[in-house]
Parts: sequence; C-alpha cells; structure tokens
Amino acid sequence: MATLSFAGVEKRYGAVQVLHRVDLEVADGEFIVLVGPSGCGKSTLLRCIAGLEEITGGELRIDGRRVNDTAPRDRDVAMVFQSYALYPHMTVRENMGFALSLQKHPEAVARVADAAQMLGLTHLLDRFPRELSGGQRQRVAMGRAIVRRPKVFLFDEPLSNLDASLRNSVRVELRRQHAALRTTTVYVTHDQTEALTLADRIVVLNGGIVQQVGTPDELYFEPRNRFVAGFIGSPGMNFLERVADDVVGVRPNDVRIGAGPHEATVEVVEKLGFEAMVHLRVGTEVLVARVEGAVPSGTVRVDFARAYRFDRATGERRG
Amino acid sequence: MILSLLVGGALVGAAQAGEVTLWHAWRGDERVALDELVGRYNADHPGTTVRPVFVSYESLGSKIEAAVPRGNGPDLLVFAHEKIGAWTAEGLILPVDLPPPGLGGGELHPVTVEALTLREAVWGWPLAYKSLALYYNRALIPDPPASTDALLAAATALRAEDRWGFAWEASSAYADAAWMHGFGGGVFDESGAVRLDSEANVAAFGFVQTLAALGPAEPSGALLTQLFNEGRVAMMANGPWFLGEASGVDFGVAPLPTVSATGRPAAPYVTVEALFLTREGAEARAFATWMAGDAAAEVRHRVGKQLVANTAVLVTDPRLGAFRQQLDTAVPMPTRAEMARTWEPLARALRRLVRGAADPVEAAHEAQFQYDIVSRPSPPAADPRPWFVAGGLGLLAALAWLVREVRGAPIARWRFAFAWVAPAFSAMTLLVVLPFLVGAAVSLFDYDQQAWTFVGLANFLDIVLARDFPIESPLSFWSTLVVTIGWTVANVILHVGIGVALAMLLREPWVRLRGVFRALLILPWAVPSYITALIWKGMFHRQFGAINGLLVAIGLEPVSWFAQWSTAFAANVTTNTWLGFPFMMVVTLGALQAIPRDLEEAAEVDGASGWQRFRLVTLPLLRPALLPAVILGSVWTFNMFNVIYLVSGGEPDGGTDILISQAYRWAFTRGHRYGYAAAYAVLIFGVLVLYGQAANRLAGKKVV
Repeated sequence: MATLSFAGVEKRYGAVQVLHRVDLEVADGEFIVLVGPSGCGKSTLLRCIAGLEEITGGELRIDGRRVNDTAPRDRDVAMVFQSYALYPHMTVRENMGFALSLQKHPEAVARVADAAQMLGLTHLLDRFPRELSGGQRQRVAMGRAIVRRPKVFLFDEPLSNLDASLRNSVRVELRRQHAALRTTTVYVTHDQTEALTLADRIVVLNGGIVQQVGTPDELYFEPRNRFVAGFIGSPGMNFLERVADDVVGVRPNDVRIGAGPHEATVEVVEKLGFEAMVHLRVGTEVLVARVEGAVPSGTVRVDFARAYRFDRATGERRG
Repeated sequence: MILSLLVGGALVGAAQAGEVTLWHAWRGDERVALDELVGRYNADHPGTTVRPVFVSYESLGSKIEAAVPRGNGPDLLVFAHEKIGAWTAEGLILPVDLPPPGLGGGELHPVTVEALTLREAVWGWPLAYKSLALYYNRALIPDPPASTDALLAAATALRAEDRWGFAWEASSAYADAAWMHGFGGGVFDESGAVRLDSEANVAAFGFVQTLAALGPAEPSGALLTQLFNEGRVAMMANGPWFLGEASGVDFGVAPLPTVSATGRPAAPYVTVEALFLTREGAEARAFATWMAGDAAAEVRHRVGKQLVANTAVLVTDPRLGAFRQQLDTAVPMPTRAEMARTWEPLARALRRLVRGAADPVEAAHEAQFQYDIVSRPSPPAADPRPWFVAGGLGLLAALAWLVREVRGAPIARWRFAFAWVAPAFSAMTLLVVLPFLVGAAVSLFDYDQQAWTFVGLANFLDIVLARDFPIESPLSFWSTLVVTIGWTVANVILHVGIGVALAMLLREPWVRLRGVFRALLILPWAVPSYITALIWKGMFHRQFGAINGLLVAIGLEPVSWFAQWSTAFAANVTTNTWLGFPFMMVVTLGALQAIPRDLEEAAEVDGASGWQRFRLVTLPLLRPALLPAVILGSVWTFNMFNVIYLVSGGEPDGGTDILISQAYRWAFTRGHRYGYAAAYAVLIFGVLVLYGQAANRLAGKKVV
C-alpha cells in the first residue's frame, strides 16, 4: 500500500525529450491508467516508476520516499510485462515464487499456493511456460506480481497479446483483483476502452505531455482539450470545422436524427445489431451518429443534444 | 598414407625413356644452381632429359618411403644421409660407384664418403655437408680460443651486464654431441651399443653444465641468431645456415676448440646431403656422377653457396674454409636405427642438466634409463587367426544387423536421399572412417626396423598396465591421462568464464566502440594457433620474455617458466586460454541475442542482484547454446597438440605432456613405435567417446 508522487518528472535521451514535467499525485490504493497513442511516453513513465529507466529531471516518490536513485530491486514494485517475461527455464511455481525465494521469504510456499488458487493456476504449477496458453501465461505473470504483495503494481499493456473475448474477461478479473487487494496500480494501455473500464483515474498523455488527469467520467464528459475529447470514447468525437468560429465537437451519442437545424445526407450505415453507426454528410463535413432502433436513409434533419467548442488554434476547450 | 600415395603418383606421371626424374627440396640459391646445372647437362646430353621436381623437405622422406616400393618413385633424390640405414634395409636405394679418386683432378672428402658407407658399400653421391663450427665476433675477440680451457676463460672474461661470452643450443643433443665426442664419448660405445652414461659422456655433461651457466638462459637457434647479430654474444657454436642470417657484425668462423682434458678436438656431427639412386638406370648414374664431379660442384659452390663435398673446388671465403677444416674432424651422423631413439632421452636429460635440476651423473643415468624404456624389446608376435575369426564374426553380425534394419524399408523411394548423402558419405569414409580403421589396425601391430609384427592387444596391455615404467612416471598413460583431464578442465573453465564475462560486458550499454572491441577480442581466434603458441613461447622465455620483463618491472623475481611443473602447466593453460576464449565469447554473444531483455528486467524488478540475474536467469538460458560449445571445446582442448608441443614441449621432463603429444612422441621421437602410438590414439578415441556419451546424457536432461 503506497502513494506515488511525481513532481516535474522529465526524461530525455540526449537531445530527445520524451517526458515533459509530469506532475501527478496517486493516492494509496488507486488504480491509475496511463493512456495515449504509441510513442506518447506512457511506457517510459511506467519504466521510470519501476526504475528500469532513470529520471533525468524532477522527483519521484513512492510512499513519500524519494526513489530517483533507488535500484529497481529496492523499490518494492511488481511489474507485469507486455510479453509477460516469464522465465522459460522455470516452472509456474518457480516463476511465481522467484522474488520471494530471492528473499528466502518464509511464507513463499503458502503465498504461491494462495495466488495460484485465486488465479485458478493450481493444476498448472509444475508446468513450464511453453506448455501454457496465452491466457494462462498472462495469469502466471499476474500471479508473479501478486505473490510479492508489493507497494505498487505496474502493468505494461498486459492484455495486448490476448484475443478480444479473453481480453474482456481478464479485464473484469483485473478489476475484481484490485477490489480485493486494493494495491496502488499503474496500468499502461493504448486502448481507451480498457482505460475507461479499469481506471479510478486516467492520465492521458500525448507527445510526452500530460493532457488531462481525471476520472473516466470527467474525461468523457468534460475533456479539457480536443486531443482528449477525440481520444476518449468510441467511436471518437465528431469535429465540425466550419459551422462556427470554433471547432465544434459532438459525440456520436449526442447526434439526434429527425428534427433540427442541420440538413444531412445518410452516406453509410454500419449495423451492429442493437445499434448502428450512421455516417452523415452535413454540407462539406462528415459526422457519425449512434442510432438505436430504426435506421434512417436519404436526407434527414439532425440536432446536437450536446456540443463542445474548442479553440481552432490551441485545441483548448472553450465551452 | 593413402594421400601421400596419391600425391606421389601425381608427381611422377609416366616416366619416358631417357628421362631422369629427380626429387629435391632445394630452394633459393641452391635451386638456381640446380636449374643451371640441369639445363647445361640436358643440352650436352641430347639422349637424356633430367627433370627436377621440388618436394618440401618435411614430406620428402615419407613420400619416398610410400612411392618407391610401388614403383612410383623418382630415379634420383637429394636427401640427408641419416636415412640410409632405414632405406637400405627397405631396399629403397641402390649402391653406387663413386668416381675414382682423382677424377677431374678432385676428390670427395673422405668423411662425406664415410657417412654414406654402410656394410662396405657406398649408398649415394655426396654433394654437400653441414656441421657446427665456432663463430666469433672480431670486435669482441679477435682470435678464437683453440682449447676448451681458453673458451671457458674467454666466456668468463667477456661476460658483461647484457652480454655473454659464448652461447650454443646447450640442451640440444645434436649440438652437445660435439663435446661428447671431444671428451672421448658419444652415443655408441666401442661395441656399437648405445651407452649414454659412459664416463666420457658424464665428463662432457659436466663441461656442458659449466659452460651453459656462463651463457644466456634457454638458448634456441632463433635466440642465438638475434644475440650474435646484436653483438650481445661474442662467440657461438652454430651451423652454416647462420651465414644467410648474419647481419651487422664483423665475424669469423673457426673449427670448434680442442677439449683440454683429452686433447681431442670437439667433433660435431656432420650431415651429408647426397644424391640417392632409387631406380637402376645408366642415365641416372651418369648424371649423378657428373653432379658430384668438379665442374658441377664448382657451380653448386659458387651459385648455390653450398659447402661442397668435392675438395677440388677451391674455397676462397675463409668462413667456408673453416667449415671445411671442421669437416676433417667431424663425425658423420650415425645412421643406425637405434639412433632415432636416443634423441629424446638425451634432450630430456640435457634440459635437466642445463637448468641445474640434475648433476652430470644423474643426467647421464637419466638419459640411459629413458633410452632403455623407449627401446625395450618388441612384444612377442601373436597368432592372428583368432582375430580373423572374431573379425569375421563381427562383420557378419554387423551385416545381419544392417539387413534387419533395412529390410522392408522403401529403399527405392529414398533414391534421391541416398544420392544427396553420397558425396558427404564418401568423403567422410575416405577422410575419417578409413584412416580410423587403418589406425585401429596398426594398433595391433609392432613396428621395428621396417618390420611389422602382429602382436594382438600387447600394445594396449603395455599401455594400460604401465608395464615399462612406474604408473606415476610422466611416461605412463595414467599419469598423462590425469594431466590431460586437468588440462582440459582448467582450460574449459577459463574459456567459458572469460568468454561469457566478456560477452556480458560487451552487452553493457555504457561500453563504447563495441564493434572495435568485439573485433579485437575475436582476433586471437583468427591467428593460426601455432603462431600464437610460438609468440607465447617467446613471451615466457626466462631472460628475454615479455612476461618476466613485466615481473621484473614491478619488482618481482623472474620465473623459469618451464623449469617446474606448475608454471609450465600455467604457461600452457594461459596460451590455450588466449586461443580458446573468443570461441566461447562468440557463442555467448550469439546466444545472448536470443534472450529477451525483458527477462532480465523482470528479474531486476523481482529483486535480483546483478549476480543473481546472471546466475538464475541469464546463465540457465545460455546453457543450451553453451553446452554443445563446451563439449566441442573440451574435445578440442583434450587433443590440443599445438600448444603443448610448441609452448612447454612437455617440459619439465614430459610432465606437461598430454595424451596426444605423448602419442606423437611414441610415434616420431621414440624410435617409431607406430603400433604403440596407434594404440594410444585408439585409447584417446575411447576416452572421448565415453566423455561424449556422458556429456550427451547430461545435456539431454534439462535443456530448455
């Protein structure tokens, strides 16, 4: 159990700056998701917490203790890698117990058994990683982190190597684990759905700069700028460039078809069963509407239940 | 053997009428002279065509022995006279009629004729001769000493901080024969038996020890050349081959001094180069007679810079004149078969003597003792018939097994597979399987004086039961096996340790110029191993080696590396480690590429220290790649002949010899005990097969 505190954290590789002054306070037990497009610096930030990358500016504290110059092994954090990084020459049991056996921890055996029980790995304990499926390996990697009962869990895109259905169930599983263990967690993903479903708070990064920090609802309903608005939510927010002085943003959910000030032509309809994505043309611009029930065609009238305005130059939210 | 037959056959081709083929190993000026003479002779004798064929000296002897009995040999060859004992016994060469004295006004020097005389016949036309004589630096000593007392006095007087009065290859049996003869001794006694521990020889050894103590340490031929040319040695005993290497010093040559104690001259061995007739033919005889005659000798002397045996040639160069003077007292190198077995015992005793590890009496007895060991009588002949029966049954069993394995297999369907395998299969059969079978067969025979006797397992029993010497003697198979295993284990541990450590280091992110370092570290591997071995041998020299230079520079005592077992062994291991670690490093570098960085990072986060990460994660993952490399490396090291032979040479007293160098010595320096050596080779093979089995079992157990 621990807090995390970033004060002006920076990272550069020579002339290239990959993290710009990150300021963030993570509360004890909080589940933080770092999200952003690839190359935004989210994995680097995670590796800085683990100590696998050195911080070149600012200060990082775990539980109040400055750890800028602390070796990874002394930080008491556990990390689940995207590749799982299971030791191929060790059994599941040895993999999970590795950290505790290094400390000659007296409860090592019991803790591995507990974690295996919790993750449904008990019957696999004597197998080698090469004998496991992708989902099983993923759970072993989680188990390896759990048995340590560290101050902080770090996850680096742990679901990206799983297929879609497995990903959904593991996501739920992760949430359940967190509810049970209440360990401070930092989770990196590029998938905004994962971010929205898992996080207590989300940190959106772009180009090494923190765009916004907030709860999923805050980010969804009150994005601070055009980047956050476009990144969070699926499908993404529609941006209309020429209907006003500012750029107007409308979420597909907020497009009402039937009556309204704008005339639109239905161009494409993607049916998803319960709902459909309707691609509309309004003048020279296109937008997507999420429609439940009857699917329109031809020329329709549309209205916006809610619209956001962003500065054309800076992308800042103006209303 | 088979190869040399093929080569021999190719060299000769079909001999035509009037054509005289001549095999020789002459190079440089001597070859120019030969070509000139052959050209002149062919022009003057239209019915005869002499065709000279160059064969390297190292292989000339064995090629002759392989080719002549099968009719593929030349008509004539040029070689040193030592071989006539063996060659006459095998009937390889024919007796010759020497030109009567006074032919062309000249005469062949009687010592050179004596060298070629055996059982009252002369077996070759003497052309040239070589022996040691005394070189002296005129600036340091204008007049050479005429007696050994004067030599000792001069050697003492001329000694200075970085200079020695006299030097020679003190632990060479060839060089010291001059003193042995001067003191009235020699390898053979009056009855013709080998007697290395005679009183005269003991006296000579005493003189050698005294004189060597006044000279530089561990003098080799190359060192003599260097020191004399630098003016750091005032006098030396050396052969005419030095004349081509002399530079920078005004020097004279004189006969070796007279031994003061006996009044006899120090008489060096003389080796006579002669033309031998291997196939009867009037043209060949005529050409050979002409080659030994005055006109040709004059050209060989003038153009070829030879010391010619023909005394009609006027020698104007006083240095060459001194060699001719030396010839008057020189002793022809004995041609008897026992001679070949005396070199190693003598050399070993002399090395102990010179480095002060034995007094003259001990050294002489040691030499005789070793000689008696290596020349012990052949094992009794065995009845080969049970072996034929057993061999036949074995063959039948193998055939039966093969038939059972193959029966019912769709051979026709595998036609192409067989075709693809055939080239490699036949090459392996020719180059590996056949030589192995021949070697294994040879191990059942004894070879003595050109005669092969079937002795069954006697060679193996002699070796395994250590019949001829105590089991702890360096000559015994078991003590050599222990040394070999120690040698292999020490090397492989160091190769793997250093190789893996350097590979890990090269991967560290802070290492700059990685490519340069990698190339530099692989370099020792790229240099031929014998060159590296010779360089290290030089670096371990007591007086002039770089390693002792370093020790002295930091204030330590210099070490006589090859005087005791531990340092000689360490010198060998150091050299071979230098040769061996790059392979392990390259294997490790490759294997490291396949280990994801994630794993080490995961271990790092899991709390493993650097050493724990290496031991618990990286090393187990390197294991599958390293294990075959270790097996391969240990087999190479087990049989690493070059380093042992060239660096320590088995010193001290054969203690650092390994099985393969021991086998070599039995075959080539202890009187051609080919059967015994072949049995050694079979035993080495057996040990390695056992090791391979054990290693396979170990490897199969737990490899990721």
